[in-house]
Amino acid sequence: MVFVWEDGDLNEEQVDAIEHDGSVYLAACPGSGKTRALTDKIALELSKLESKRHWVIAITYTHRAAEEISERIERLGVGTDQLWIGTIHSFCLDWILRPYSVYHEKLQNGFRVVDQHETEAVLDQLCHQSPYQVRALDCRYYYSTAGCQLENANPNRRLAALSVLNGYWHHLEENRLIDFEMILGCAYDLIVAQPSIPILLGKLFRYILIDEYQDTKEIQYAIVAAILSASAGNTETFIVGDPNQAIYGSLGGFAMGRLDFAALAGIALADKSLLSNYRSSDRIVDYFSNYCVVPAVIEAVGPDKEYPSVVSFNQEINQQELDDEIVRLIRYNIETLGIPPHEICVVGPQWIQLAAVTRRLVAALPEYSFDGPGMAPFSRDQDNIWFRISRLALTRPDPQLFVRRTRWAKEILDHLRSAGVDVSKISPRDLLRHCNSIEIAVEDGLEYLELFFAELLFVLDIEIDLFPPLQEHHVAFFERSRVQIQRLENAGVQGVSSIAMFRRVFATRAGITVSTIHGVKGAEFDTVIAFALLEGMVPHFSEPNAAESASKLLYVVASRPRKNLHLIAETGRISGIGVPYETTQVLAEHGFAYDLIDGPG
Amino acid sequence: MHISRVQLVNYRNFERASFHFNKGINTVIGENGSGKTNLFRAMRLMLDDDFLRWAYRMEESDFHRGIGNWRGHWIIINIEFGEVSQDEAVQALFLHGTGVIEDEAIARGTYNLIFRPNAAIRTRLAQLDQDDHAGLAAILNAVTLDDYETVFTGKSTADFSDPAVYQELVGNFETVQFPAELHPATLGGRVPGIMSVSKEVCFTFIQALRDVVSEFQGQRTNPLLTLLRSKSGDLDPAVLAPITDRVNQLNSEIEAIPDVGEIRADIRQTIRDAAGETYSPASLAVRSAVPGEADRLFQSLKLFVGETDDEYEGAINELSLGGANLIFLSLKLLEFKYQKAKQACANFLVIEEPEAHIHTHIQKTLFDRLNYPDTQVIYSTHSTQISEVSNIENVNILGRSGSRCEAFQPSAGLEAPKIRSIQRYLDAVRSNLLFAKSVILVEGDAEEILVPVLVKEVLGVSLDELGISLINIRSTGFENVAVLFHDDRIRRRCAIVTDLDATFFNTDPHPDDPDTLKSAKEKALGSQAAGVARRTRLTAFKDGNDWISVHYAPRTFEVDFVAAGNVELTVSVLNSVYSDAATIVAATEELRSGDVAIYGKRILAMASYAKKGWLAIQVAKVVTGTTRIPSYLVEAIFTAHKPLSRRVLANMIEHRLKFHTDPAVISEAQVLALRTQVEAFRVGDLEIEPLREAIIVAMAGDVIIDVLGYA
Repeated sequence: MVFVWEDGDLNEEQVDAIEHDGSVYLAACPGSGKTRALTDKIALELSKLESKRHWVIAITYTHRAAEEISERIERLGVGTDQLWIGTIHSFCLDWILRPYSVYHEKLQNGFRVVDQHETEAVLDQLCHQSPYQVRALDCRYYYSTAGCQLENANPNRRLAALSVLNGYWHHLEENRLIDFEMILGCAYDLIVAQPSIPILLGKLFRYILIDEYQDTKEIQYAIVAAILSASAGNTETFIVGDPNQAIYGSLGGFAMGRLDFAALAGIALADKSLLSNYRSSDRIVDYFSNYCVVPAVIEAVGPDKEYPSVVSFNQEINQQELDDEIVRLIRYNIETLGIPPHEICVVGPQWIQLAAVTRRLVAALPEYSFDGPGMAPFSRDQDNIWFRISRLALTRPDPQLFVRRTRWAKEILDHLRSAGVDVSKISPRDLLRHCNSIEIAVEDGLEYLELFFAELLFVLDIEIDLFPPLQEHHVAFFERSRVQIQRLENAGVQGVSSIAMFRRVFATRAGITVSTIHGVKGAEFDTVIAFALLEGMVPHFSEPNAAESASKLLYVVASRPRKNLHLIAETGRISGIGVPYETTQVLAEHGFAYDLIDGPG
Repeated sequence: MHISRVQLVNYRNFERASFHFNKGINTVIGENGSGKTNLFRAMRLMLDDDFLRWAYRMEESDFHRGIGNWRGHWIIINIEFGEVSQDEAVQALFLHGTGVIEDEAIARGTYNLIFRPNAAIRTRLAQLDQDDHAGLAAILNAVTLDDYETVFTGKSTADFSDPAVYQELVGNFETVQFPAELHPATLGGRVPGIMSVSKEVCFTFIQALRDVVSEFQGQRTNPLLTLLRSKSGDLDPAVLAPITDRVNQLNSEIEAIPDVGEIRADIRQTIRDAAGETYSPASLAVRSAVPGEADRLFQSLKLFVGETDDEYEGAINELSLGGANLIFLSLKLLEFKYQKAKQACANFLVIEEPEAHIHTHIQKTLFDRLNYPDTQVIYSTHSTQISEVSNIENVNILGRSGSRCEAFQPSAGLEAPKIRSIQRYLDAVRSNLLFAKSVILVEGDAEEILVPVLVKEVLGVSLDELGISLINIRSTGFENVAVLFHDDRIRRRCAIVTDLDATFFNTDPHPDDPDTLKSAKEKALGSQAAGVARRTRLTAFKDGNDWISVHYAPRTFEVDFVAAGNVELTVSVLNSVYSDAATIVAATEELRSGDVAIYGKRILAMASYAKKGWLAIQVAKVVTGTTRIPSYLVEAIFTAHKPLSRRVLANMIEHRLKFHTDPAVISEAQVLALRTQVEAFRVGDLEIEPLREAIIVAMAGDVIIDVLGYA
């Protein structure tokens, strides 16, 4: 039966985009119900599948988004057996690298995806051994269809970086490892070298939906386009994104134009857009519209349209007093404006400052809790099997979580299978039952996990020594978790190592969020407080097109809040070469009637 | 798309076997116990959705016994699919898992079941030093089936039937060398979890049944119920509703019958009387339970068949066995048709020994008609009737040698015209050539008639017991049939027996020769030249082929038969050849002349006068144990039949001893001593050499001494 949405669920723009017969290129402004449109489109196409041999593929930017969308679809009551959803990297692994590994010389004898931290460790060591001055940071790279591209444009270090990378690739090849970038590189190699692969995939996929196309890399466009093109019309596509929010330019992400993509894939691509913002007030919409790089006329239509928003900008405050100012703004929002703590988000450009700020905020506002980077007491590497198992270890059986935990269990089994463990006799339900029956009474979170894992291995009769991938992940998980806990404790955060703190990582959002600008993408809050809006940080000094990058970052930050926005460009920060940072130019040049906030502090 | 090849390695009675199949109808021919059922079992493990679970429950007994200690070895079942297309949507998922990309396109798919020690064991084996037998034994001794894993892979390119490939993938147990590479690419990749090959294809297996009636009675085995079950799911609820209503009403009416109520009341009362109120059940009812649900209603349907013309339709158990079998097979075929409608990417119908289902005369018709489009049919048989219908190119022959079974493709490597002529020959003579363990080819009626009798009477065993098929190829030409026996095709021995046609009288022309003699001389010389040419041809033909041997009668069968020492026997049939007394007297004299030029001419004259076949029949009637077998025939028989087992040899010696009863030649004690030696030889306590020496002394000149030479 064809899926039908309820009246009033979707607006005309959304219905128009979803019902279009053929491939669609949908530009969606912030808060326009893009995820809803995507979800309903997936549900609709799933319900229209006529063969058990057809799939709907949805490529999301993060694991989190994939999880959210698949849960929403399950709630719509549509079967998800023929839905594949995940990141482009998972897509390449599941549909190209694993099934066709025998056709790639780097993969044909089996392969494993290297742990991100192992990558860093190897690069650090190679940089250290290099006769040139070069840092791991200089060696970041990605693949395009033309080959390897260095992320960092510093021309003086190119050669040194490439020589380090050669050593790094050699290390990977010797150990049959591939890194995240190579997943895409190898997938592209296979698609090009073996035309049969896109032909077969094109027969299997009825739809490929892409979320956040503005952050998609050229090589990813090429992979998807090759499948669409080889399908000879069997596969259609639904591409959603917002060119104004393309903030991953340094990683090679960009919003390919509609006609360019249509030409690349050899398909017709209808131009659709969503311009109604359901999230923010008129004042917020008005403010962030200023940062549009690609013109768009956005209209606030949501329940907070009339909200008397406070939009403030402070470029006077010294970085020494930054914490106090953030604390003051948080208190102002909670105590004066009545905003719930979990609806507040503090945003900064870089992980390094953020982690420090978070820890100081935790100490300064002990009455509120915080969810932020570096706040999880253990390693959160999504691709680490032990992180995945810790999700089951740290959540309790709950009817509301059943579907999600079953999926987690299935992912764990898939992971174990690809590590070479024979799991043919274990169903996801068996695994859940085993996990639920493990009882360990210790207070220390890491100790708890260590005992839990050992017990689970015992129950499943897996000798970890026999499976190097499991062993390596195990070591990495605990090493990094210990470092993390140490760091938190050094910063004065209390009770980090307790099991309660561990469990909170998977509990629903309760505290004030602290995030990077990139990390806040797609989220929404009542209030957003952004700091370090300084040229060289926002945008990063390595960005080639500073003004445009800055506009996009500010656009993303400013379009998150429903109600209030506080921008801070603190003084007194000194760059690595001893020059003081100044306010981001695009921000400084924007004339706007900012509000002033008097209050405690 | 169809199955083009099945390879079995170390599976049950196959150490290493390759089967080749074509689209359409294929036959697997083999005697009982040659592994037909195991071949099908292997295919079911991979393709039959109902059977798949057994792939994860392999047992020790699934390993080929011939490998000795199974620990560390692998079982590999490989199926190759031909005529696949990457452009056909229905095959896309199948090929996503199995398609082998060669030269940028997909032309075949491969799918393997591999049962092997898990990665941990394989890692430890790989770490062993060469020749570290103690280390190997230490690892293997601890291996149990729990250390084994079942893996399904696709896209493999390895030829598993090649022992070198097996050694490369699995290891060398003799030298203790195991591969360090745990993931060789030629083994292919694991089949993605999203697809199950057995769900992609439609596979129906009809097993050989000898007791169909009991199958009809089983809930799970009754094919009618399977059909009804699959249909009841599709039933429109609107159609069923009024029926269910009526059933419910019927139930109420039955319950309302006063007698029913009475029984209920009586039961209650009896319980109360017996157990007392406290222990009696709180309520008790007698309900009518005619089922109202679609599936259960359907299951109450039964098949009634009228076998005869008297309009009586009986239940299955009243049918004749043949009738029940026919119905059973038809229902299974219908089941296949229903399944096939489910849009599978390929359809396979595998029938085990259809001769077990149906009467011989229906078999031929059935397989002429069994022609479903897009369906590959593979059936096994040991019925010559069915094998004649099938195309030789679509035949696999199974043979057993010891505990090992082998598969042959009789037409492998032959060109189309040659295959066609063999096909015509097989169709025409209806020979059981394809079933034979070894073959002797002769080209005349005389040999065909006399040789089996000679062997039976003289050696005391029949050709059948020796597993030899004697085939008269008449004028077909030896090469046309013998070509089947080859390393690439049927790996069985084939002995060709023919005449060298050397002249046996003075053929030098003389000016005084009368015309008849002149022409006889010319004819004899012509035959001799032809014989030499034939020998040259056959020598070249068999060159390099160890499966074929050629054995020559120096002159002609009849002449050499007499020459072998059968003068008196030939004399004794003169009465049934000639009626004229004078001719008989003359012939007797000539046969006894001891001059081949004279008795040779006479026996050929007899053959020509009475016809060769008739003469052979007359001779066959008087053949006894003391008749002599020409030595080239002994040579042919025991070249074809190899190895000669102790048991058969002992039986033959025993038989020969019966004809050595003259106390002047051999004493009773000698006979007894020899018997004891033969018994010792039979059970393996005596070697052949001392036995042979004893026999040479005691039974000088006996044919058995020749036979011993071939043992």
